[in-house]
Amino acid sequence: MPTLPVFSRREMLSRTGTGLGMLGLAGVLAPTAAAANPLAPKPPHFQAKAKHVIHLFMNGGPSQVDTFDPKPALTKYHGQQPPGTDLKTERKTGSLYKSPFKFNKCGQSGIEVSEIFPEVGRCIDDICVIRGMHTDIPNHEPGLLLMTCGNTQPIRPSMGSWLLYGLGSENQNMPGFVVLCPGKPVVGPALWSNSFLPGAYQGCHIANLDPRQVIDHIRNKHLSADTQREQLDLLNGLNKLHLDRRSGDDQLDARIQSLEMAFRMQTEATDAFDVGREPVKVREEYGKGYFADACLTARRLVERGVRTVQVFYGSGQPWDDHGEIEKGHRNKAKDADKAVAALLRDLKRSGLLGETLVLWGGEFGRTPTSEGGSGRDHNHHGFSVWLAGGGIKGGMTWGNTDEFGFKAVENKVHVHDLHATILHLMGIDHEKLTYRYSGRDFRLTDVHGTVTKGILA
Amino acid sequence: MPSLREPLTGILLLVLCASLSAADDARPAEFFESKIRPVLIEQCYKCHSEASVKAGKLRGGLKLDTRAGWQSGGDSGPAIIASKPDESPLLKSLRYDGDVQMPPGGKLPAAVIADFEKWIRDGAFDPRHGEALAKTGIDLEKGRQFWSLQPPKPHAVPERASVSQAIDALVQAKWGEKGLISSQLAEKRTLVRRFTFDLIGLPPTPQEVDAFVNDTSADATTKLIDRLLASPAYGERWGRYWLDVARYAGDQAHTFGTKPKANAYLYRDWVIKAFNDDMPYDRFVRLQVAGDLVPDAGDLFTKLAGLGLMGLGADYYKNTAREQAIAEELDDRVDTLTRGFLGLTVACARCHDHKFDPIPTEDYYAIAGIYNGTNLTTAPLVPPAEVNAFERARQAVKAAEGRADTFLSDAGKIAVQSATSLTAKYLLAAREVRLSKAAAKALAKQRGLDRYFLDRWVKFLDPANAAKAPAAFKDWFALKATAQATEVRAAAESIQTKLAAIQIPDAGGPKKVKKNGNGPSGDAIVKAMFQDKDAPFYVSPPEVERHFLDGDAGQKLAAMRAEIEIAKKAVPATPLAAHVLAGSGRGMNVYIRGNPATKGGAVPKGFLRVLGGSDRRSADYTRLDLANAIASPENPLTNRVIVNRVWAWHFGRGIVNTPSNFGALGERPSHPELLDYLTVEFVKNGSSLKWLHRQILASKTYQLAAREDAANDAKDAANQFLWRGSRKRLDVEAWRDSLLFVSGTLDAKTGGPAFDLKDADATRRTVYARVSRHELDGLLRIFDFLDANVTADKRNVTTVPQQQLFALNSEFMVNQAKAFAGRVERLGTTDAERIAAAYGLAYNRPPGRREVEMAEQFLKLPKKPGDNLTRWQQYAQALLASNEFLYVD
Repeated sequence: MPTLPVFSRREMLSRTGTGLGMLGLAGVLAPTAAAANPLAPKPPHFQAKAKHVIHLFMNGGPSQVDTFDPKPALTKYHGQQPPGTDLKTERKTGSLYKSPFKFNKCGQSGIEVSEIFPEVGRCIDDICVIRGMHTDIPNHEPGLLLMTCGNTQPIRPSMGSWLLYGLGSENQNMPGFVVLCPGKPVVGPALWSNSFLPGAYQGCHIANLDPRQVIDHIRNKHLSADTQREQLDLLNGLNKLHLDRRSGDDQLDARIQSLEMAFRMQTEATDAFDVGREPVKVREEYGKGYFADACLTARRLVERGVRTVQVFYGSGQPWDDHGEIEKGHRNKAKDADKAVAALLRDLKRSGLLGETLVLWGGEFGRTPTSEGGSGRDHNHHGFSVWLAGGGIKGGMTWGNTDEFGFKAVENKVHVHDLHATILHLMGIDHEKLTYRYSGRDFRLTDVHGTVTKGILA
Repeated sequence: MPSLREPLTGILLLVLCASLSAADDARPAEFFESKIRPVLIEQCYKCHSEASVKAGKLRGGLKLDTRAGWQSGGDSGPAIIASKPDESPLLKSLRYDGDVQMPPGGKLPAAVIADFEKWIRDGAFDPRHGEALAKTGIDLEKGRQFWSLQPPKPHAVPERASVSQAIDALVQAKWGEKGLISSQLAEKRTLVRRFTFDLIGLPPTPQEVDAFVNDTSADATTKLIDRLLASPAYGERWGRYWLDVARYAGDQAHTFGTKPKANAYLYRDWVIKAFNDDMPYDRFVRLQVAGDLVPDAGDLFTKLAGLGLMGLGADYYKNTAREQAIAEELDDRVDTLTRGFLGLTVACARCHDHKFDPIPTEDYYAIAGIYNGTNLTTAPLVPPAEVNAFERARQAVKAAEGRADTFLSDAGKIAVQSATSLTAKYLLAAREVRLSKAAAKALAKQRGLDRYFLDRWVKFLDPANAAKAPAAFKDWFALKATAQATEVRAAAESIQTKLAAIQIPDAGGPKKVKKNGNGPSGDAIVKAMFQDKDAPFYVSPPEVERHFLDGDAGQKLAAMRAEIEIAKKAVPATPLAAHVLAGSGRGMNVYIRGNPATKGGAVPKGFLRVLGGSDRRSADYTRLDLANAIASPENPLTNRVIVNRVWAWHFGRGIVNTPSNFGALGERPSHPELLDYLTVEFVKNGSSLKWLHRQILASKTYQLAAREDAANDAKDAANQFLWRGSRKRLDVEAWRDSLLFVSGTLDAKTGGPAFDLKDADATRRTVYARVSRHELDGLLRIFDFLDANVTADKRNVTTVPQQQLFALNSEFMVNQAKAFAGRVERLGTTDAERIAAAYGLAYNRPPGRREVEMAEQFLKLPKKPGDNLTRWQQYAQALLASNEFLYVD
């Protein structure tokens, strides 16, 4: 019988509230050291469509009318200020500003995609473009926080943390929630915070993709692997003597196992991040640079059972083109297009796309009106994201913005709805994944969120 | 106002009846049944009906399944105003016009919306009877019956029994009820470790262990406890517990618009000192809430530094959603205050009346008002005279610097003025230099020009600059190389004339130009001639010094510089200032559903009504009033909550196992009489935390062995009823500090600015490390340190491989292993002696036979090529990384 599990059974049940009480039951009731492992896999509420999420975060906020939401009326009314185009955003904007890019019909579905995303356009039949997205606040920090954590302040756990808490990880030798970003996006670590969930659910941020440096202390710089094995054998021996005198205390046993896990992680995690092991052909398909390597790493991670991988396009807020959007968006899309399409194709080839949900998008969109003549301001009224893979109907669009692409008007999807839908695809009822904290059962979607059923396969 | 509404409905029905008799349209009943009711059922009932109330899914407090439901309406008032479609919020939301857009899944077809408009315009006929949502008033009197809101009851103990004996009696009574058998007391060697780790967060030395084990006097334990409580390390250990509740950190989570709080450590040091000084708890509360207003607070540090509790509070990113962000900041204050001191989740009442505890929404805003409009600022910890002296000295430096700047600027201006009157000459000379490659130096001398300005003119007149030069130079740049001298001279003179009309700005940069002084075009030419870095008549202060100061002037400048240095030396050290919250706020309106955009009724400032706060609500209510209401001995929560926290920090679980929630959703006390008894005695004994530690630690309950027992385990595996001691994992602070202590590397320096844990060579106690809300240090994070953005009651204890990677591979661990091996080497001459010394330091016991064998076997292994640690260092690391080091029996 367990005496002092890392979470006591009672504590686990009281923490998990009603919903996850069921969800986590199998793991909690098993009286083994594995039960003490907060990352042990747990069954979902219902049959899941997807097991992994890859979130390709275009931080800074790409413009919908220049990427996935073509608006011919912008060309027609270019330079004018028809009614309905003076919505409040962060800064003052002027008259309508046509997209500098051409849109092409793509795939069997004929969905129009901007010329700056030709390769993603070729994958469009696997993609569902949500054109009626909206969010709350047209500033980066609250926008990023809402998209990652479901709240505009840094006081809630991130979606990746919630998923890890709800489902555990399939691979105990790897971190279960990995965030790839060179440097840091604006706001930074709060975007992958566990907040009030236990620290084990925190996202593992990796700025440098050098496999020897990806995880803190992953490498011993002083001992060979053989010597370290000898040292660990000695440590195990001492720990077992200690445990024997304490009649099988679970928490002591859990730590002995955890030490072994750490030893294995040293090689396994290092391998997982080593894109150098990929065939040259595959590497060429993804292209060069951090973002391309990060996309390829994302595939290698989900392949190994990592639950959530979040890839930020770059440090800071790269898509934030307040000026010279033509040049800015064209340059960024050049990198993003090839790597993103390669990831989709690669996942499809290896059969992983069926169980991996890919989300592409920013924290908000941009105004169809011009800022300073060549740029666009933040826009929370309407924007586009797209989903592909696990349980998503491909080759479709969902919802619409108004005729200029300013404001979502039809089949609107709020960020909370997007979260509810992602959780649904992962087999989780977003109203039942709760954590008791400060006298309340908290949820990723707070008191909001409706699953967008129309896009489910 | 049902009394007004009822007759109104009556009148409407009369009107409807009149129109019915006309029979010129679809009958209202038929219209309602065919066009309205089906839509309501289909689209609205899921979230707005009696059924949704029962399912807990009612939204916005609005029911649409009865007429009374929409009449009395939801959180923001009536949903439909009969006959007035344009004033009916329901229609507005159906039209998707505004913030509330219904149904959420998508706008209804235009025809359906038109039906609703017609229905409302025609009087909103609705035959559905039934109740509106009952507005649940909170019954405060009933609420006060809840256990934690009742005054703590004294407990009669036998006359000569000590408090510790009373604790044991109350705990043992529960064993009887639950059929649990007591464990034995722990051995003295185990106890001295337990006491020492528990009170100061470090292990005892071998000498201290021996002294205690060999002390057979009756008061050996009391002496040990007193010694530990008198150590400054006690405050470092116990102050840190409070810092979790205070969500202490030195920065903010956001990237934009936040400044690091450079002196955050003052609050940390204040808390540590308060624990070491055994500050009475009620004073500890008062000073943190309102030290600035407490009349007898004492010295400035004591009075002000505790205000860091709120002074270091959340400072959110504002920009576009300012009101919302401020509302969240108020939430942070109310939440930290009420959970921290009262164990009540008052912030739950921000959007609606508390669902489980007797806290109406108005109460949240009564407290929030006390912080509404207050400032996060700094307050000097030195007397005003010192602050003034510092400010004066800084002004003196500025003034001296200003004099030198003005002197240089004036000298520059004079040089520029005289050069400007020779503009035409400069132009002609520069043209010659450009065209004939004449030597500038000679030419300048010959024409009485300054070489400095001539060089700049030559550069300026580069034809490549033609496009960006001011309009006045259009003709000049158009001049051909072969142009007639008269033509050239005319062009040059024309430019000089134009420049003569310009008021020459002060030297040294564009910031000094008066806007609109010369109109827009004038500005352009002023910039191009005098202010741009490549302007021909621009001269920077260092250039003035280099080119335009004669010997006299140079000496004057040197004297001014000397004055600056003297003034700088006279500036005293920057006065230390604490981060505080200033002001007592102003009453505010309820935000309906927590939304600052929808304001409800005004609420005067004040305290929770269930705790007697109704009488004193007013605009004059201050933070001191709030502090007194919390610290009052009449308050049934404050003392219970801290007694329970202290108990929980000793035992690993509280008598109430939700230390920051004593409400209905919190756990009930496992030993209610014990909690009440200790609370009453605590207040009687001066609200002294050290007193409380002594009573708890001297009890047998605390001294039980941490030994499992199968029969007891089956009944109470979690040891809720304290039938044995609890084996505790050291938290990250105690673990890291103990590693340093045992290795002999701990730097015992107390207080002062924080250090960075990323520095593997840092050897101060962990309580002095930087704590960040933006990016929590990796070591703290992986070892269950809490997110400092919110107040916390207890840490999770998780076991994950990243922790073990730190133990196996980090530079910090390797550093300690090397130091520990070195220390042990000096304590013996043979391996056996050294192994024994290592066990004495790390585990406070001699090694067992098997342990010695394993060690000797390992130490005999040959060193492998490429390994940078000796076998002894590897062994030392294993001892430090072991379970026995991490878990205390």
